[in-house]
Amino acid sequence: MNGDDLIERILREGERRADEVEVFYARGLSVATEIKKGILGNAEESEAWNVAVRTVKDGRIGFSATSDPDRWKECLDAALASGRLATPQQWGGFPKPADLAGTPSAADGDLVVAVEDAARMVGELLSGAAEHPVEVVGGGADLARSYLAVANSSGVFYGMDRTVAAVSLETIREQSTGYEFDASPFLADIDARSVGEQAASLAARSLGGRDIKTGRYDVVLSPVAAASLLGQVLLPALSGRNVKAGRSFLADKVGEQVFDERLSVYDDPFAPGLGSTAFDAEGVPTRRLVFVEQGVLRRFAYDLKTGYRYGEGSTGSAVRFGSEGPGIGVHNLFIDGPQVKEPGDERAIWIHDVVGAHTANPFSGDFSVEISNPFWMEGGEPVEPIRTAMLSGNVFEMLGGIGGLGNDSRRVGRLTIPSIRLNNQQIIGK
Amino acid sequence: MAEVRYYDIRCVRGEITLVDIDNGVVESAGTSFFDKAVIRVLGSKGWGVLTRDHVDIDSKREVERLVEAAARLAAVTEDHLDLADAPRGVLPVPPLGEDPRDVDLEEKTRLLAGIEEAARVAGVGNTRARYTEGIDAVRFLDSSGNEYSYEAVRSGFSVVAIASRDGVMQMGSERDHITTGFNLRNKQEFGRKAGEVAVSLLDAKIPKGGTKRAVLDPELAGVFTHEAVGHASEGDLVREGASVLGGKIGERIGCAGLVIVDDPSLPEFGFIPVDAEGVAVERTEIVRDGILSSYLHNRETLAAVGNGVPGHARSEHGAPPIVRMSNTFIENGDAAYDEILEECRDGILLIGSRGGQVDPGRGVFQFNAEYGYFIENGEKAGMVRDVSLSGEILSTLHNIVLIGNDRKMSPGYCGKGGQSVPVSDGAPHLLLENATIGGRGE
Repeated sequence: MNGDDLIERILREGERRADEVEVFYARGLSVATEIKKGILGNAEESEAWNVAVRTVKDGRIGFSATSDPDRWKECLDAALASGRLATPQQWGGFPKPADLAGTPSAADGDLVVAVEDAARMVGELLSGAAEHPVEVVGGGADLARSYLAVANSSGVFYGMDRTVAAVSLETIREQSTGYEFDASPFLADIDARSVGEQAASLAARSLGGRDIKTGRYDVVLSPVAAASLLGQVLLPALSGRNVKAGRSFLADKVGEQVFDERLSVYDDPFAPGLGSTAFDAEGVPTRRLVFVEQGVLRRFAYDLKTGYRYGEGSTGSAVRFGSEGPGIGVHNLFIDGPQVKEPGDERAIWIHDVVGAHTANPFSGDFSVEISNPFWMEGGEPVEPIRTAMLSGNVFEMLGGIGGLGNDSRRVGRLTIPSIRLNNQQIIGK
Repeated sequence: MAEVRYYDIRCVRGEITLVDIDNGVVESAGTSFFDKAVIRVLGSKGWGVLTRDHVDIDSKREVERLVEAAARLAAVTEDHLDLADAPRGVLPVPPLGEDPRDVDLEEKTRLLAGIEEAARVAGVGNTRARYTEGIDAVRFLDSSGNEYSYEAVRSGFSVVAIASRDGVMQMGSERDHITTGFNLRNKQEFGRKAGEVAVSLLDAKIPKGGTKRAVLDPELAGVFTHEAVGHASEGDLVREGASVLGGKIGERIGCAGLVIVDDPSLPEFGFIPVDAEGVAVERTEIVRDGILSSYLHNRETLAAVGNGVPGHARSEHGAPPIVRMSNTFIENGDAAYDEILEECRDGILLIGSRGGQVDPGRGVFQFNAEYGYFIENGEKAGMVRDVSLSGEILSTLHNIVLIGNDRKMSPGYCGKGGQSVPVSDGAPHLLLENATIGGRGE
């Protein structure tokens, strides 16, 4: 039974037993190659298949998922059974078919999921890394293609292709490590050689770092470090569910100046990116959403359930990961503003990455993390490595007054972000 | 046909039940199903690995077809791997006190709601609780004629309470997961504790970062053991040259009396009856009396590195096995808790864990406490929040000055290589000298 037949069958059967039914379907093929001891170690190919069913009856939402086509009836039964336990809520129905507003940029027609192509990318990573005297300790290249579909008993049936090309490389020299990565829907975006060279350069140049004294310093967070910290704290604060539940620092601040006036935060689902899509994970057309405009908080993100519950309406922000039910998220989030070549040319500590970003307090924004590949930066250039230190602060306070944005925006997962200069930050030396 | 030196197939068919209650609203309460298989073939050099849904492991023809496809993948690899011989055998799965499958979803939801409600103490504005139950039926066979099957049952919950006042928002969280039966009855005290911690943190101070004496509670000391020592002793990282503990077997890496163990055979949350390569599991002493004595291995890293114990291969369902910890802990010493506080004199007591991360090549780790207290004149003083600890693996273990006698294990999940597996870790109270404490207080 192909995917479309199965979806139709679940919809027909589900409609008999509930007011409404929704099917989310995904199938994918991917290859991954893994580097070991500086050469190609493992080669892996995955085929995956998943169906997730939601039923609605008298405002009660049920959910189940399966990766086994033979168990679709059991899955539908489980969704209905779970719906009987859910608290009933205000519900206005699954979306009806609509004209999709934009064109997503999520699939590369030329990307072939072939292990030989992934192996060639590994070769490029390694040749880039060979430009510096380091050992390669890990990394790899992945290629994937998937098909997603959302269908419901109101007549929606949207499908789309997604592709991903991803590389990463991990290097070491003595006790100095370097890690770099890149991922895009488009194979041509990936410069594996340059990723390899960067990873090696970080380890080679970080060698022999000197200690730093505890105190307050100006710092520049690279796009990677900034994405790690902000992703952990800012994303949950923009979720309408957290806002309404009293779990968001930004709740009740719409219309207020919450960040530096140079900062804007928006979701552009039509920009090329890993989350690019014209419809969200429950079939609502996506649109460009401005969350923060020149520092002023404009809105939050909602899915259908939260939108109906609080009379806010969905913003097309539903996303799904794995075989879980939909939740509120972002598609392609941009953190943007006027960028300068050097985010302030005064001496500062440049921080490539942080260790332990996930331990930040998502409600208060407080964090203290170990920093990776820190350098003294002068005239916009990292000049001298620092051995090791911690950075402590508060993400919301940091965004309240920044020192400037670099012109080096890059994509880190679903975020696109430049380097951010922050003055007078707490550094804890050894 | 491409060369096949060895193959194995591991199938996991199972169910996941989740109940999510947010501020009194049952957001979801349901069961999902999966059936995943991983086929590995060792070709003339390295591994070719296939991941598939719904493989008929009893069909010879299907197995042959998959092995051939994996062998074609293996043919592109260049790294020559060998597999060490390892003991085989399956431990009995600990008996279930109460089988979660005998409890209906409605009762589970009601019991979880009781825990969530208990978290709503005065001052708490938001509560959330989740129940997670996993039933895995595992089947394994390999080309050497080994075959095993077992069933794993996991049941537990987490509860989070958030208190806020004057723009300050603080969180308390508790969790408890087990492999030995249904785990939701009579657990309201976990909810209450989460609520009380959240409220008391509203008045807690943010400590000033710097170097101090620190007392770690058993839960945080367990995470410290896992992050600071466990990962760096994993044979794959050692083989790749990505661990500071590489080449250090027989060397003193910690204080006298320090014993660090990984034991997959303990009936704690990280229990496995046999590893993901069909190898028998046993207690492994990573550190014996301060001396690095063993790495944790799978068959491949044992062959390449030596100096250690196999049986530490683990995998999430639908993912290939990698070297992982299971139940990791520091053995009891002889210091009483009061003695540790007294000896600390002035410092900080760190309690609970919000997780951690390690860069094993650089030898640096970081992790966060849920909260803590100042220690003044050997006694517990004011409460602190948003405090973390970082350090270097090679110096920190020498800085353990006292080892308590009150070891406790805590359940959790460990992420590595994109896979998450259940683990537990623990330790007695520890006194650390020269600890680097992160905090943004002035």
